[in-house]
Amino acid sequence: MPIPALIVPLMDEKALRLLWDDDQISTYPFPYLRGWCPCAGCQGHDGERQFIKVENPQLATIKPVGNYALNLGWSDGHDTGIYSFEYLRTLSDQVAEFNATTTER
Amino acid sequence: MPNEKDILTQLQKIPYPGSRHDIVTLGLVRTVTLQENNVTVHFRPSSATPDTLQRLSQKITATLSAVSGIGTVSIHTGRPSGPEAGPGPVTAPGKTPLPGVNKVIAVASGKGGVGKSTVAVNLAMAIHALGYRVGLLDADVYGPSVPLMMGTEAVPRAGHDKKIFPVEKYGISLISMGFFLDDESPVIWRGPVVMGIIRQFLRDVLWGELDYLIVDLPPGTGDASLTLAQEIPLSGGVVVSTPQDVALLDVNRGIAMFRQVHVPILGIVENMSYYLCPHCGEREEIFGHGGTAKTGLEVLGEIPLVEEVRTGGDTGKPIVLQHPEHPVSQAFRTLAARVIEASQMSIH
Repeated sequence: MPIPALIVPLMDEKALRLLWDDDQISTYPFPYLRGWCPCAGCQGHDGERQFIKVENPQLATIKPVGNYALNLGWSDGHDTGIYSFEYLRTLSDQVAEFNATTTER
Repeated sequence: MPNEKDILTQLQKIPYPGSRHDIVTLGLVRTVTLQENNVTVHFRPSSATPDTLQRLSQKITATLSAVSGIGTVSIHTGRPSGPEAGPGPVTAPGKTPLPGVNKVIAVASGKGGVGKSTVAVNLAMAIHALGYRVGLLDADVYGPSVPLMMGTEAVPRAGHDKKIFPVEKYGISLISMGFFLDDESPVIWRGPVVMGIIRQFLRDVLWGELDYLIVDLPPGTGDASLTLAQEIPLSGGVVVSTPQDVALLDVNRGIAMFRQVHVPILGIVENMSYYLCPHCGEREEIFGHGGTAKTGLEVLGEIPLVEEVRTGGDTGKPIVLQHPEHPVSQAFRTLAARVIEASQMSIH
């Protein structure tokens, strides 16, 4: 499983850029990343993917979690999302699918 | 006379170390300004280490100085103020073990009572005997056994800023909930309290410089194990089991937990592997033999059921220390050597 080798928050472009150790680059716009927060509070337990729409979210904190994830905190105070590297890779590789299945609530 | 766009084109020739992508594409260059013929480059805050930034700065200076018409080159790595500052210092995963601690190895099991603490204590002693600086963190807050097995009831001294000095015994730095409780008081805590204790044991204990920190996990896959895996990048996990099927059933859960949080599993230790009759020397395989190999993990060692291991634990004089020539002590030293070898391969 690839892990991030370099983490660059692009505050002016409102996006997070990752360089993976297999040399792939992923760029995540903040609203996309905040919207697909993987935490149970955002995703619920019914198995259906939920997109959480937040007005102009800003990335406030980034903490590495052990060997496997990043914990991202947002300007709206929400900081329970633990984004595993697998999940971040999926969010990057399947942008089209994620955008297509957006079910706002 | 070059303009700012020309300078960016020059910077696009500089790849990030270990990557084919350049520093502009990666977003590391925040601004480039040109005043008369003097260039100022501002880096964006990122997880790049100060070392890497310094190397890149030298490359930028060398690259731009070679362009005719450019005067001085100044490079800024500081954090901008205002909304541009972004999240505080960012570190890439796997790069923040505990300060001063080189490798952290967790000793886990699926079931209780398979001798996990015995293995952790003797593994720590054996690694120390091979010439390394070793710490032992007893993460079993509900049933701490390390104080008894290491023969100390010392109370850890307090340092500055709510820091704690570990207890030193037999050359090993120790911390355990047992040091803070008397023997009768039950530990009745919910998960968040346990998580807080594990965090404190990791962050607030003055471990100093250690080659290996061995963590004795509680049985199962609960709060203590998960907190440990989330708080720090573990170098590896060692799984302990007895050979019979009923113990192996839960071992597979422990293995799955390590896999899920990307902790490399160094291998499995088969404890109570066989009984060596003290009278006739015959080997009796009470729990069956070779069961741990069924997990598909590398069997790091087989520890027989002998009385000296038990008395070593109960009297606070681990067998590796008390009877260094005993075949079991030899087995623990072999285990230690293999754990060291396996953990060197780990990137964390």
